[in-house]
Amino acid sequence: MALLEGKDLSKLFGALAAVDQVDFQIEAGEVLGLIGPNGAGKTTLVNLVTGVYPLTRGELYFEGRRIDGLKPAVIARMGIARTFQIVKPFPGMTVRENVVVGALFGKGGAQRNIKTAFEEADRWIEFVHLQDYRNASVDRINISFRKRMDLAKALAMGPTLLMLDEVMAGLNTKDIEEMMALVRRINRELKITLLVIEHVMKAVMGLCQRIIVLHHGRKIADATPQEIVQDERVIEAYLGERYAKARQRSA
Amino acid sequence: MKNKKQLLIAVLIGLGFVILPLLIEGYWIRVISSIFMYGVVTGALNIIAGFAGYAAFGNVVFFGIGAYSTAMLMLRVGFPWWGGCVIGAILAAFFAVVVGFPVLRLRGHYFAIATLGINRAVEQIALDWGSFTGGGKGITLPLPQMEIQSFYAMIYFILFGLLLVTLLTNFAIARGRLGYALRAIRDDEDAAEASGIFAPSCKVIAWAISAFITGLTGGVFAYWFSFIEPATVFDIMIAVKAFVMMMLGGAGTVMGPVLGAFLLELISETVWGQFLTIHMLILGTIVIGVVIFIPRGMLHLFRQRFSLSALIRNIKNQSI
Amino acid sequence: MQTNPIRRSEKALVLQVLLNGIFLGAIYANIAVGFSLAWGVMDVINVAHGTMIVMGSFVTFFLFKYIGIDPFLSIPFSMAVLFLIGYFAQRYLLNLVVKVGIFLSLILTFGLDLVFINAVLLIFTGDYRSVTPSYSGSNFQVGGINVPYIRLATLGICILLTGLLQLFLTRTRTGNAIRATAQNRQAAEIVGVNVARIYSVTLGVSAALAGACGSLISMVQSFTPFEGGFFIMKAFIICVLGGLGNVYGAMIGGVLLGLVETTGARILGTGFQEAISAIIMILVLIFMPKGIVGSKYK
Repeated sequence: MALLEGKDLSKLFGALAAVDQVDFQIEAGEVLGLIGPNGAGKTTLVNLVTGVYPLTRGELYFEGRRIDGLKPAVIARMGIARTFQIVKPFPGMTVRENVVVGALFGKGGAQRNIKTAFEEADRWIEFVHLQDYRNASVDRINISFRKRMDLAKALAMGPTLLMLDEVMAGLNTKDIEEMMALVRRINRELKITLLVIEHVMKAVMGLCQRIIVLHHGRKIADATPQEIVQDERVIEAYLGERYAKARQRSA
Repeated sequence: MKNKKQLLIAVLIGLGFVILPLLIEGYWIRVISSIFMYGVVTGALNIIAGFAGYAAFGNVVFFGIGAYSTAMLMLRVGFPWWGGCVIGAILAAFFAVVVGFPVLRLRGHYFAIATLGINRAVEQIALDWGSFTGGGKGITLPLPQMEIQSFYAMIYFILFGLLLVTLLTNFAIARGRLGYALRAIRDDEDAAEASGIFAPSCKVIAWAISAFITGLTGGVFAYWFSFIEPATVFDIMIAVKAFVMMMLGGAGTVMGPVLGAFLLELISETVWGQFLTIHMLILGTIVIGVVIFIPRGMLHLFRQRFSLSALIRNIKNQSI
Repeated sequence: MQTNPIRRSEKALVLQVLLNGIFLGAIYANIAVGFSLAWGVMDVINVAHGTMIVMGSFVTFFLFKYIGIDPFLSIPFSMAVLFLIGYFAQRYLLNLVVKVGIFLSLILTFGLDLVFINAVLLIFTGDYRSVTPSYSGSNFQVGGINVPYIRLATLGICILLTGLLQLFLTRTRTGNAIRATAQNRQAAEIVGVNVARIYSVTLGVSAALAGACGSLISMVQSFTPFEGGFFIMKAFIICVLGGLGNVYGAMIGGVLLGLVETTGARILGTGFQEAISAIIMILVLIFMPKGIVGSKYK
């Protein structure tokens, strides 16, 4: 049984189908990539899974249970966490307090009191190497640190499934390497299943065992990284019809 | 409350207030009682507006509900004043829950206006339902059975006690789960929900607590003045003053709102006493000044190194 | 065919109530249009708008009583005075806090409101005033319906003002700059719009409309410096009904409210009227957040 399964998922905004009849599964323990040109529907798909948008059509299952129609907070407590494409920190709080919110209200949160929640938060702050900035106010730290804080907050929620939305965006080469190492640790040491939305190809190729490609809301490919880069439809989607045809002619 | 020294100062000040009635005369006892009352109302407002970020401009509606419940229970049913106050507070909290679920779904300005509308609607009902509430003529409560100076002293201590309760409530909320949930909601409600926070319930709970305390205060007010009418206990000015006091002291902090209440009410009372004809002018100017120069509150100002040039630079940066 | 005389007078009654509703609605619409302009363009809820209306009334009162200028002719004066007040209030006070948070400007306008009320109180005292030119109370009859001249003229002027506003916003440079800034402040700045000045003009125009409204109202009911709160509440309700920042919405919302109130008063008596309008507003906010008419004016 797949950890997360979506059947015939569709989301319409008026007449626009942001997500169009998508079927997909994520197996426990894997790192699944989700790529596609801008506007393809990747973030919308994540929003559907986390309950931010209601489905127009289709069904969603997590650990075998139906989750479409549930509130975001319920889904979060079931063990699904995410980071945001444009980081959404809590600006009025310090780094430590931001992460503690995840610890307090995520999957294991109900059992924790403030003290143990802070201990949990500290643990994750160390994991992402942010301990020097524990008490810094979030509006004072740069984007790389904010992304790591977002990650720590999501981890503090104790998720089974973690969805990263363009977590590499805006990072320089060194930061990307570090972030990739973190993501690998999350998957291998913590045994957390990952969905990675990315435009940074190095990260996608280096981290994912399998990749799904969306274009105009539809799934156009679902294969290993090596197969994906050869796939005609993917190339066409990213680089345009003319390039794809030119490539075919020269092949 | 960061260290022992601050705690000691606070306890000393508290003791000072306890002894004060012995040293001062009746007029000042009433003035300080009024200051305590605003401290409570502002502290209660802080829970929904400061922590959760929902600007309940109409929060005074709970004051009125508490006042009217206490008045009617004392007059018609013969309840003791404290019984009336508690029931009034419970009714106010209940009202907050019933109205809160739909209305707290609104954000920003819309929520603020909705609460103003709610206050207005309840005030009008109190005015128009004369047979039940006495309408525009108001309600006269049974007079207290004790010597007047002792009565005022008793009110002083009741309100002081309420103030301590409000401070403790704010403190407990700030340090606990609810506080973190509310602040997360205030900062980014969507991210808060994605973290597992049930925003609707948290907001309603916060508003209910705020309503309970405000309702209690309204009841005490009714008992204190022995006469209430819709225009006084649903007065928007109470809510606006509370808001400005909260801002002046620092919204979302524990001590800030109460400090702001003390300062502004003290100024207000002095001005009202000396400059009756221009007291609105002065109050208005103070409000404008606070908004422009101290928008994040005095507490915030004290925590940073304060300099005039930094202040002016700040204002220049934020101007259009 | 002979119409039954009782039917005829019933019909006349209904038409009279409707007409009164429209007259009231015109004034309400005027209140809301000005208020909505500031809100829609700058996200400024000008709580002092009600008192600005009252100040317009007092300008007319002053000119009528001490200089003998006809109330209708005093409208340009009240508009000019209020324009200046609004312009400077925005330029030197509100512009300082507009970027910071939505509630700061609201509270600032509360402070302004207090200052204005006190100022008017000092100059004119708190007595009830009214403006009664020689033609007050005169009317003509049409098919059994009473049409007061002043009310009719008021309706005409309200329509005229709204039309002029619309022309101003769509056909002049400044007007277009205002609309551009309303849609996207940063983009407007980039193309060279002086946002500080545009905002000041916007509040000035909003205040000018309030001033005109006050002049018209002065002939219809008596007033004190404290009437502002009543008008503001109406403005809120209408903007909520009509959708924010939407000129047409404000107009329609205003007329709607006028009709609802007059027919409501006829049926229920003036009793719970205020409570009902407040409750309607809350219900609309909850269930129809975009207002009855549509979405934000842009």
